[in-house]
Amino acid sequence: MDADTAIGGRGDHFPSTQLSLLEATASSLSSEALDRVITIYWKPVYRFIRLKFHKNNEDAKDLTQGFFATALERDFFARFDPEKASFRAYLRMAVERFAANQHAAAHRQKRGGDIEFEDIGEQAVSGESPEQVFEREWQRQLFCLAVDDLRAHSDACGKQLEFQIFQAYDLAEGERPSYAELASQYGLPETSVTNYLAWARRMMRSFVMERLRGTTAGWRELRDEMRRLWS
Amino acid sequence: MELSDSVLDHLRRVAALPDLSGTRYELETEIGRGGMGIVYSARDRVLDRRVALKVLDLTPAGEAQLIAALEHPAIVPVYEAGTLPDGREFYAMKLISGARLDAYLAEQPTLAERLRLIWRVGEALAYAHSHGVIHRDLKPQNVMVGKFGEVYVMDWGVKAIAGTPAFRAPEGPVDQRSDIYGLGALLRFVLPDPNPPALAAITAKAMRADPAGRYPDVPAFLADMERFEQGMAVQAWPEPLWHRLRRFAARNAVLLWLLAAYTFAKFLIFFLRKF
Repeated sequence: MDADTAIGGRGDHFPSTQLSLLEATASSLSSEALDRVITIYWKPVYRFIRLKFHKNNEDAKDLTQGFFATALERDFFARFDPEKASFRAYLRMAVERFAANQHAAAHRQKRGGDIEFEDIGEQAVSGESPEQVFEREWQRQLFCLAVDDLRAHSDACGKQLEFQIFQAYDLAEGERPSYAELASQYGLPETSVTNYLAWARRMMRSFVMERLRGTTAGWRELRDEMRRLWS
Repeated sequence: MELSDSVLDHLRRVAALPDLSGTRYELETEIGRGGMGIVYSARDRVLDRRVALKVLDLTPAGEAQLIAALEHPAIVPVYEAGTLPDGREFYAMKLISGARLDAYLAEQPTLAERLRLIWRVGEALAYAHSHGVIHRDLKPQNVMVGKFGEVYVMDWGVKAIAGTPAFRAPEGPVDQRSDIYGLGALLRFVLPDPNPPALAAITAKAMRADPAGRYPDVPAFLADMERFEQGMAVQAWPEPLWHRLRRFAARNAVLLWLLAAYTFAKFLIFFLRKF
């Protein structure tokens, strides 16, 4: 399978305190609400379409763009009912319906033509269903954005060292250094290392919450989504 | 920034942990998840004892104040409430070592022991109701049985809790009679199969769909349970004559045996005299 797109990967904006999704929609901020949704969901939607409908990179990108463009045109948020499902579930079902229709239309055009080979390699390797991949990418995107927010916040308030410690420990691939090793490397007492880590994690948690708040419809959905994220 | 699966899992785990810096507690391990938050075991460094620490998810729910106002042997005492540096509300309470009701039943307790549990839960409910507090989410997972048989009702409800389907009253706005429904469901849950029809009738009355058809309050429910335990007729069941006679016989077995023995002796004497 060809490489994934780089679109939808970064969120460089430091988040202001965000209105909930419904508040934003109700106050005629639909385009702003859609921006937030796209920032978090572009990649999960793209990956979901790739796996579910076996699309290549370009087709999946087109379908993802098409989905969000249609969502904007067709008053997508107004039809969301938080009593029936979480926004995440609502969006995934809408994507599935949209992509299935597009996929069926493309098949009708091709009927009678060449045999189409389906690439199921990546799905077989990961062992995850497209729905699981969608959720996983949603989690990944939220944390990616929160880490970016944390970096920007650390720079803004002169806490670069705290971020470096966080990066060296919590973002380390493979074996993590010990607190003592980090203390010696940065010339700090060990308690400072744990305090810096506690600060960074606390801030990261609050940034995740802020990002989630912008794409949920109230505190109950926010609570449920957070539980899903942590568990 | 791209995060690998292993880093993502690590971040999810550390972001969920409560930040206890600046508090007197050291985190040990997660022991359960309740309606509004996660419960951890922790060590109180000042008093050198283990406590249960409930960390609430989001909005302050007033849960700690709600429970702290209730002083009853079957309601877990709250030691302290506060706010963590990460903004989450928490409260520390007595750490109960024992089993949840559903796990306790696996030990095959007797019917009398099962009824005693329900009785203790009912007493705690009656006490809470007298203070204007409704539980809202009675279920086996919210009842703990301690090592010495003590019973604790946990997770006292706050407005956000909607209840657990199998134990939830069907009506919308909940009141004390919704808890009576939950108590009936709890009784049904602990009863062995087959169970005495009088107890099944108490359960059915407590769980009527129409709240007006249920017991008016918890003491009325407990009174009917007490009637059963004393071998008397329960209000919930208009028992058939044969059952009433059988119950009478069971309650007055000694008297009936004496009467039978006396009658037999009289007959014996009568026949001996005759022949």
